[in-house]
Amino acid sequence: MMYYAKLGFILLIFCAVAAGILAYVNGLTAPVISQRKELEETQTRQQLIPNSDFTLMSSADSSFSFYKAIDKSSGTTNGYAFISEGTGYSSRIKTMVGVDTLFQVLAIKIIDQAETPGLGAKCQDQAYFDMYAGLSETDLFVDKDGGKIKSITGATITTRAVTNSIREQIAILKKALIAGGDK
Amino acid sequence: MRFFSELAKGIVKDNPIFVLVLGMCPTLAVSTSVKNGLGMGMAATFVLICSNIIISLIKGVTPPKIRIPVYIVVIAAFVTIIDMAMAAYAAELHKSLGLFIPLIVVNCIILGRAEAFASKNNALNSLADAVGMGAGFTLALVVVATIREILGNGTWLDIRVLPQAYDPMLIAILAPGAFITLGFLMALINIIKGRK
Repeated sequence: MMYYAKLGFILLIFCAVAAGILAYVNGLTAPVISQRKELEETQTRQQLIPNSDFTLMSSADSSFSFYKAIDKSSGTTNGYAFISEGTGYSSRIKTMVGVDTLFQVLAIKIIDQAETPGLGAKCQDQAYFDMYAGLSETDLFVDKDGGKIKSITGATITTRAVTNSIREQIAILKKALIAGGDK
Repeated sequence: MRFFSELAKGIVKDNPIFVLVLGMCPTLAVSTSVKNGLGMGMAATFVLICSNIIISLIKGVTPPKIRIPVYIVVIAAFVTIIDMAMAAYAAELHKSLGLFIPLIVVNCIILGRAEAFASKNNALNSLADAVGMGAGFTLALVVVATIREILGNGTWLDIRVLPQAYDPMLIAILAPGAFITLGFLMALINIIKGRK
């Protein structure tokens, strides 16, 4: 009995040392990681809707948050930026979207995905992003579903996930703005 | 010159992928592009080196009955460290390898070398073993990934090698392509070995 208690105790010491080291490394890297993520998001927003200041806003029930882009020189609203998320073939795909005040897409960028390299992962190409520019809610369907988005060869699921998530998020954004009375 | 013979054996004679056939899961999954293969190989090599040295150093105080849980704790700690370090300082690579980093914990090569080598040899030879095995693993990944990326995408390390007109053989990049490529490579190596 004592023997097994001793074994357990030795294992506990090993685990405690490992946990201590991990806590230290986590303390070093966690701020760098969150800083990097924030910086990346800020830069992406600026790429999507250039020359704007962004203010964080959220819907009335605060389930959905987005950024309002206000023009740096004229002070008028340029549009809105938000993140949409959909389930692709092998991952959750996060897309940052910029829309104008008429809810037409200005630009998009995939910020997180782990789709099949060579197939779904092509959703990270600039050519793919460009396809979305200028489209409004009614056009945001994959061509097979009667919309204007040409699906990536061999990766309809990926294309559909991105397209549908953007369309649904635009609908939510519209609702949030009407409810908030700020348009 | 034990050090160098331990180092060299992992690269060719006892290559973990082609000869020992260990660590198939990450090999099949990340060899879709040379960049992923290199990244995975180097991350696994780092973990292998650290865990081999530590396990060799603590072999005197590790009771044999609980050696496997101890090895797993050591390996898991290093994997978590590299996972966090990559997320902080090599975000791009971390994004493309994402899922596979935590899987290094259960990579049989690392546990296998801990059990078969590091727990019985001194730290210096364990280091040589880890470097050799890591290099062999990385080399194997790069070879498989080279074939798959060129056939399946027409590129090597994202540089276009086949003309744009080449219609990519998509199967090479999908899961079956990994099995087919690996099968042919192993057959080739067995032929070469059989001749000796």
